[in-house]
Parts: sequence; C-alpha cells; structure tokens
Amino acid sequence: MTKDELKDYIDTHYQDKMKFLDTGRFDLMYEVTKENLLEVSKALRDDENLKFDFLCNLGGADTREHFEVIYSIASVTKRLRLDFKVVFPYDQAEIESVQEIWPAANWYERETWELFGIQIKNHGNLKLFLLPDDWDQGYPMRKDWDAPDFIRMPEL
Amino acid sequence: MGKLRTEEFIVNMGPHHPSTHGVCRLMLTMDGERVVNVEPYIGYLHRAIEKICENRTYPQCIPLMDRFEYVTAMSCDYAFSLAVEKLAQIEVPERAEYLRVIMLELNRIASHLLFYATTAMDIGAVTPFLYGFRERELIIDLFEMTCGQRLTYNYIRIGGVSRDILPEFVPKCREALNIIKGKLSDYQGLLNENPIWKARTKGIGVMSQELAVAYGVSGPNLRATGIKFDLRKDDPYSIYDHFDFDIPIGQNGDVFDRYLLRLREIEQAIKIIEQALDGIPEGEYKTKIPFRFKPPAGEVYSRIENSRGEMGLYILSDGSTKPVRVKARGSSYNHLQVLPEVAKDCLIADLVATFASFDIIMPEVDR
Repeated sequence: MTKDELKDYIDTHYQDKMKFLDTGRFDLMYEVTKENLLEVSKALRDDENLKFDFLCNLGGADTREHFEVIYSIASVTKRLRLDFKVVFPYDQAEIESVQEIWPAANWYERETWELFGIQIKNHGNLKLFLLPDDWDQGYPMRKDWDAPDFIRMPEL
Repeated sequence: MGKLRTEEFIVNMGPHHPSTHGVCRLMLTMDGERVVNVEPYIGYLHRAIEKICENRTYPQCIPLMDRFEYVTAMSCDYAFSLAVEKLAQIEVPERAEYLRVIMLELNRIASHLLFYATTAMDIGAVTPFLYGFRERELIIDLFEMTCGQRLTYNYIRIGGVSRDILPEFVPKCREALNIIKGKLSDYQGLLNENPIWKARTKGIGVMSQELAVAYGVSGPNLRATGIKFDLRKDDPYSIYDHFDFDIPIGQNGDVFDRYLLRLREIEQAIKIIEQALDGIPEGEYKTKIPFRFKPPAGEVYSRIENSRGEMGLYILSDGSTKPVRVKARGSSYNHLQVLPEVAKDCLIADLVATFASFDIIMPEVDR
C-alpha cells in the first residue's frame, strides 16, 4: 500500500474519527479526539488491511497554545507508517493510556506524565524515573518552566 | 528433615555494575538464585538533550545528537539531518549520500565489534574483548582521519557532510575492511563451538515474536526472533536501494542468535561499504543551507536503522530557527522495557547474559 492508497483507505474507513492535518511533512498526520483515542488505536491495530502493531514513538509537545500527544505507529507486516495526535488545552491535561493496545507505550507515557504533567488514566505505573526521586520543581518540558538557578543534589 | 522456609529477597544491581554498560540500576526480586522480578531504574545519565535542543538552532543540535548515543554517533547525526531534510525538503548531493552510507556502515561495524567485545566479556570470555577493541580501532582511526574526532563526530550535517574525505581514505578503508574480513572467522572460531559459551547462550533469554513486536523491539534483537524487518529495505532511506546486501535473521531469539546475527551483519556492512567505495561519484559534498536556517512549519517523524534498532526523531517546527519540540526515540529504551518480561524466572547469571545480548546503551535510554 503506498502513501496515497493509505490516505484514501483511512479517509474512507475512518473519516468520522480521524481528521487529516497538512502539517505532516513526510508521513501522513491525523488528529484524533481524546474520546476516540482508544477506539481508533484499537481499530488501527486490528484492521486486517493495516495491522499497525508497532508503536514507534509516543511523545508530548507544548506548542505554547495547547498540549499535544503524538503517536507514531508502524506496521511490521504491512510496512506502513502513520502519525496521529491528540490535542487538548492546558487545563484538561489528561489522556487515556494506550498500554493495552501497545504495551511499549508504558514507559513513553510515564515519561510524558513526568516531564509534561499530562495525566495518564489507567496507567498503573506512574512513578518518577528520569527525574530524581524527590523532584518538586514542576514539569521541565513545559514551555513556561523556568530552570531554577540551583538544583539541590539528592541527599545521599 | 523439616520443611525449609524460603523467602524472597531484593538485590540491588548497579548503577555501577560493570555489566550494565553505563549506569543502569536493576532491582531484582530473588528467590534463591532465581530472578522473580526485575525493575529497571533509569535516569542516571539524563542530560535533558531534548530540552536543550529547544533552545538551539537546527545546526547547533547536531553535536547534542552525538551525545545522544555515542557508540554510533554518526547515525545519530544522520537521523537528525535526515529529519530536518525531510522537514525542509532539502536535496542532498549524491556524493554526500555515498560518504554518509560509508560512514554509517563503518559505524555499524564499530558498534557491533564493541558489542562482541563487551558481551563476551560479560559472559566471562576475556579474549574477545581484546579482539573486538583491536579491530574497532582501525575504524575509529578512519573517522579521526576524516573529521578529527574519535567518538563524537559531528560529521554528517544538514544537507551533506562537513568535509570531503582525504584521497588516502579509500585505500586505507579497503585495507581496514580486508583486515576485519579476515578476522571474522577468528571471532566465530573463538566462541561458536565453545561448549561453555553454548551452555551460557543457547536457549537463554528467549524472546517470542509477539512479545518483540508488542514492545517495539527493533533491529538485530527483532530479527533474531525470525522477523525479517530492516528499515534499510522496508522503509528505504538514503541510497540503500543502490546496493546489493542481505538481511540475516535468527531463529530462536535467544542470546546465541542475537550474538551470531550481529557478526553476520558485519559481513553485510562490509559488502555495502565495498560497493559504495567503488561507486563514489564526483561532485559536491554538501548543499549550501542559509546561515539563518529556517525550515517551514510542520512536523516529521523519521526513522533509520541504527546498529541497535530503530532510531527515530520527531521534530516539530513553527518556522523559526529553533525547533519547538525534538523527541528522540532510542531503541534501547524499548529493549530495557522488555527486559523484565524476558528475564522473568531466569537465573541471575543468565540475566547478565540477556542484558548484554540486548546491546543496551544507557545514554540512549536516559537522553
């Protein structure tokens, strides 16, 4: 399936749930609403013609206007690539976990929670791991985060 | 004799354990010699590369990418350059592409030799350690000759490479490849039929295909399970379609397969470099990009086949000189994540073998 065929396929089968965005410079980029996230992810993985079984990357982004979580998925058997994102305002920074669809999401979501302060629902393993255990300086990947002049070393 | 009372206990492995290749800490729940649960603790090498990138211009990000994964720094430079080239639709001269492929594959050999050296060392064979480092030195010398650096190269830039190769590079490179080619049978002869090595690696740390795909395992670790998936063939980038090479695969997905597969990949990498050396065209080695380089607004996720697996970069641009968001995906992140599943119920000595055979490198995990 070429990129154009994939776009046609998604536009016909998922037209009401996935909105095409023209910001993707190389691969296709779609937008999915927060409510549809789990349903769409599951459908993309289980679709016989797509089989998006491989989660390449999952990461948050702060665009200074809103938060985004970007999912980059691929199919190992069908050799396809697709990106989609979920956009939500700062005051509703909460999203469902996609762990049961792609177990690889576990650490990626944990990192998104830790660095952006985006709550992950039904995650079950939200513990700090990149930052020190006693970190209380906020969420460093947010754009409004100011680096403190002095960071205390953890007590030994 | 009365019933023995057994109790689970916790062992802290690392962060400075020599076999964790960097600073990874594993909390092991043990039942005697048997590992009941593994919990990795990471973050000891966290340098906030992604955050620093947000305050640097695009060309300034490339030296940071060197530090993202310093064992294959060339491919990190390349992954970033490729992502930006996709974002700004930059055409790269063909000579530059050839030079890039030569450097990437040389770096793949160097990385696999390092794997051979350290994995054998972790499992208890000391001679391979000396052999692996000895031949790796030849490649590092080639890099030093080309860009002046031995570990963090900053050689592959947006739109090409930083400088042309010297005239004596090609004969020196051929010489080094011939030496390595001659040594490959030595490497295998040292370990393949060694009964201790076989006992320590065959059937140990077996990963199933379903588990590998579900956890996003890529590269040699994925191919060792028998899935023929290599981004150089399956999502082609650069000029890999010009060359004739095979993708070796394993069968069982155990430590032995992962080890042997990497040695076989060295053969294929040599094959690619030899073809590329024959075909280097004349011409420019880079395209000029403006001093204040501004890619158009947009976003891209691009991925390449690193020596460890899929190295991906997500870049979000708003049309200014600095990226809004850079997210680097290192394959070791996923390989460390799947370790507790693979190492469940194995002996503690086999945990070390499994960890080593995954070829996990910590800077890539912590970033």
